[in-house]
Amino acid sequence: MIRFEQVAKRYPNGHVGLHELSFHVRRGEFLFVTGHSGAGKSTLLRLLLAMERPTSGKLLLAGQDLGQITNAQIPFLRRQIGVVFQNHQLLFDRTVFNNIALPLQILGLSKPEIAKRVDSALERVALADKADLYPGDLSTGQQQRVGIARAIVHRPALLLADEPTGNLDPRLAAEIMGVFEDINRLGTSVLIASHDLALIARMRHRMLTLQRGRLIGDGEAGK
Amino acid sequence: MSATRSPKVAERVAPKAAEPQPSKKKPRNDDDGPAFSELFAAWIESHRASLIDSLRRLGKQPIGSFFTCLVMAVALSLPMGLSLLLKNVERLGGSWQRAAQISLYMDINASDSDGQALVAKAKALGGVADAEYIDKKRALDEFQQQSGLGEAIKELPENPLPGVVVVTPLEVDKAALEALRQSLSELPSVQQAQLDLVWVERLAAILKLGDRFVFGLTVLLVSALLLVIGNTIRLHIENRRVEIEVIKLVGGTDSYVRRPFLYMGALYGMGAGILSWGILAFGLDWLNGAVVGLSGLYGSDFALGGVPPSDGLSLLLGAVLLGYIGAWIAVARHLRELAPR
Repeated sequence: MIRFEQVAKRYPNGHVGLHELSFHVRRGEFLFVTGHSGAGKSTLLRLLLAMERPTSGKLLLAGQDLGQITNAQIPFLRRQIGVVFQNHQLLFDRTVFNNIALPLQILGLSKPEIAKRVDSALERVALADKADLYPGDLSTGQQQRVGIARAIVHRPALLLADEPTGNLDPRLAAEIMGVFEDINRLGTSVLIASHDLALIARMRHRMLTLQRGRLIGDGEAGK
Repeated sequence: MSATRSPKVAERVAPKAAEPQPSKKKPRNDDDGPAFSELFAAWIESHRASLIDSLRRLGKQPIGSFFTCLVMAVALSLPMGLSLLLKNVERLGGSWQRAAQISLYMDINASDSDGQALVAKAKALGGVADAEYIDKKRALDEFQQQSGLGEAIKELPENPLPGVVVVTPLEVDKAALEALRQSLSELPSVQQAQLDLVWVERLAAILKLGDRFVFGLTVLLVSALLLVIGNTIRLHIENRRVEIEVIKLVGGTDSYVRRPFLYMGALYGMGAGILSWGILAFGLDWLNGAVVGLSGLYGSDFALGGVPPSDGLSLLLGAVLLGYIGAWIAVARHLRELAPR
């Protein structure tokens, strides 16, 4: 699904985001990327979303070389990915339904198909009764679940999450992680960037550890 | 996912030559992706949604939207109004031109009866609407009044002016007038046939200058209008930066991002076009009262024409197009800055 081959990212100001990183993620795998602030987690996610391009090395996502991808291809690449942000990135002037429907509207699906899929996504995150509310009417945990529903509604092959439990209490964090595991069981690859080591350790999935842009660990969490 | 569906859709539209072609229509299944009709319906729905969203956003700020349209309408009305006024002046010039006359100066010794005979011969020619004889005495009286040389002329031993026949032609075409002048000059007792079109040519030159002025003003004000639209759309883009970033992150193309702003630009243009049409119609009607009064003093029934429907529709269409183009330029300029952060 994802292949990093000696991928490096250097910025014009001399800062090095990633040093020759190499690893491979299989289709359907659940993976954590952890490390302290500035370790390179966000850079890694930005590279996967084609928000930035690698300075050197080869980065393949579902067979596409992200170093060579054209600007016109980027939207179509992103349609294969679902993204969950720490700050949710919800649109507060749209209802929960319309927030979740956004990727489907972009795909050009019909109204009945959109309604069917949004309802299904809302059920998966246990918010079926909140469709007509606005994000401002929801708790932080519910907002995060809306963000997850929007990320999975178009059935992406890969789900990326950047500190998805960063603002949540431990009980809500565990609940959100449970939602990610449910999605993973349906065949979606999940890559979560998080520095919540206690939570990661409980989940016993593969964990990559970054430090100052270098990969210093690759193994099952908690071992 | 559309990215995985798209190739399948393409394959359905243009199957590979090597593949056997099924004689019966293959039953669709869910993995085939949406059919063309569904995609087309969704495309229409997407445009409808963008249009309604743009209308809703404009409606949320009615005063701001109205004043933006009003500024644009004023910018549109100035050149359009001047152009309409010029058209009216051309119309007025045309009516004067129809009154263009050819003066036939007779031999100094020609009598009044020669003059009347010349009138009859002139009227018999094709292309002559009317002919009037001005005898020597009347010619002298008019000259005394118009030249301001009354006292000096009185000192002359005899009247030096010949009788004149003033011919009003039917046609206003310059070549036809010249041909008529030539025919009239060959009539007996005619010493000189003078066609005076200098004032018509001067008016035409003034109108040409006016046309150029209107063109220059149009270019300037259209540029200003594009700037107004561009700046307005830029503010809308700034207000929707987060939304745009999210749309781009979930796979929205540039055209998807651009669409609501283009509708917004076109709607601003439409509003401005309607207002401008109203301003011009009201303005010309308001001016017309004074123009009718003035032309009445000169014995004319000239009145300003309103905004012809064809000109009004062109104005409306042009305004919509300008709004659209202004929005396009603004979004194209800012689209690169809208990359997700």
